[in-house]
Amino acid sequence: MEGGGNEFTGEITLRPLELSDIDDFMVWATDEKVTRFCSWEPYTNKEDAINFINTKVISHPWFRAICLNGQPIGAISVTKNSGNDRCRGELGYVLGSKYWGRGIATKAVKQVANTIFAEWPHLERLEAIVDVENPGSQRVLEKAGFQREGVLRKYMLLKGRTRDLVMFSLLSSDPKS
Amino acid sequence: MSKEMEINLSKITLRPYKISDVDDFLMYGGNEKVTRFTRWNTFTSKQEVVSYINDYCIPHPYCRSICIDNRSIGFVIIMPRSGDDRCRADVGYALAAEYWGHGITTRAVKMAISEGLKEFPDVVRFQGLVELENKASQRVLEKVGFLKECVLRKYSFNKGETRDMVMYSLLSTDFMP
Repeated sequence: MEGGGNEFTGEITLRPLELSDIDDFMVWATDEKVTRFCSWEPYTNKEDAINFINTKVISHPWFRAICLNGQPIGAISVTKNSGNDRCRGELGYVLGSKYWGRGIATKAVKQVANTIFAEWPHLERLEAIVDVENPGSQRVLEKAGFQREGVLRKYMLLKGRTRDLVMFSLLSSDPKS
Repeated sequence: MSKEMEINLSKITLRPYKISDVDDFLMYGGNEKVTRFTRWNTFTSKQEVVSYINDYCIPHPYCRSICIDNRSIGFVIIMPRSGDDRCRADVGYALAAEYWGHGITTRAVKMAISEGLKEFPDVVRFQGLVELENKASQRVLEKVGFLKECVLRKYSFNKGETRDMVMYSLLSTDFMP
């Protein structure tokens, strides 16, 4: 998964994902390499993808397309909690597999980290949980300045099997990377 | 910490709450020493306790009164999650201050987990989140056989401040009643 270097040939930006992005969405959402550690199975038809954008993305508290030179190549999101849990939000991201190994996800995560605490004043902790067998994603968070806190054993089910997951966090008070 | 008294741990029982437990509940639920690290706001009236017992404790999948001679001296709860999180359950507990220091909570949590394993066959991970400062509660989980996994920084908000929480877990395969 790691490429020879960390250069990417273009500008990485984040913006809302729209229905007009459906074809770009299908590129990563149908790829089983991409969905391997996601809770969902690869999409097999556009209708399901359109439904996802209409029902889950539009109403999501914070969901962005990761764009390379303006074209969506992945997505990144932060969940919001309420009550006593509103000080933390969970980060998630997916990236088209042909773009792996170039530092793109790291750049997207850093961009989120640089804006989310200002956008959500109650947020003090941005966390992410990564499968122990997904070192590529663990490295993204480490390079983005997250602290690895520990391994949560048999924490959740991934496609029916219990998984050990690594917990990472970035605090609003942590030094900027 | 507590007066000299003989406690025969075989006299500790668990049972569902009843409205008639209201006065005993208020003795511990109304004590700031007891509620300090719990998610409860200190209970201030019988009516508040009656509502809590009726609306939360009685309908709950697993919420039990810790009893001596059938009198309520504490609270233990197991909360299984759902969906992809159904392999794990949260454990919570509180005990009247005058009964601290005799191994009662440890005993009650062990009994609850034994029952929880039967009630919730999907659960393979029991977890306890304890505030970093709450050393006594950490000792309870360690004596039951939980493993300290990590510290989750600024994980949740309680009584006016964000708190660092220690994550403990016990796998069903590790449990020794």
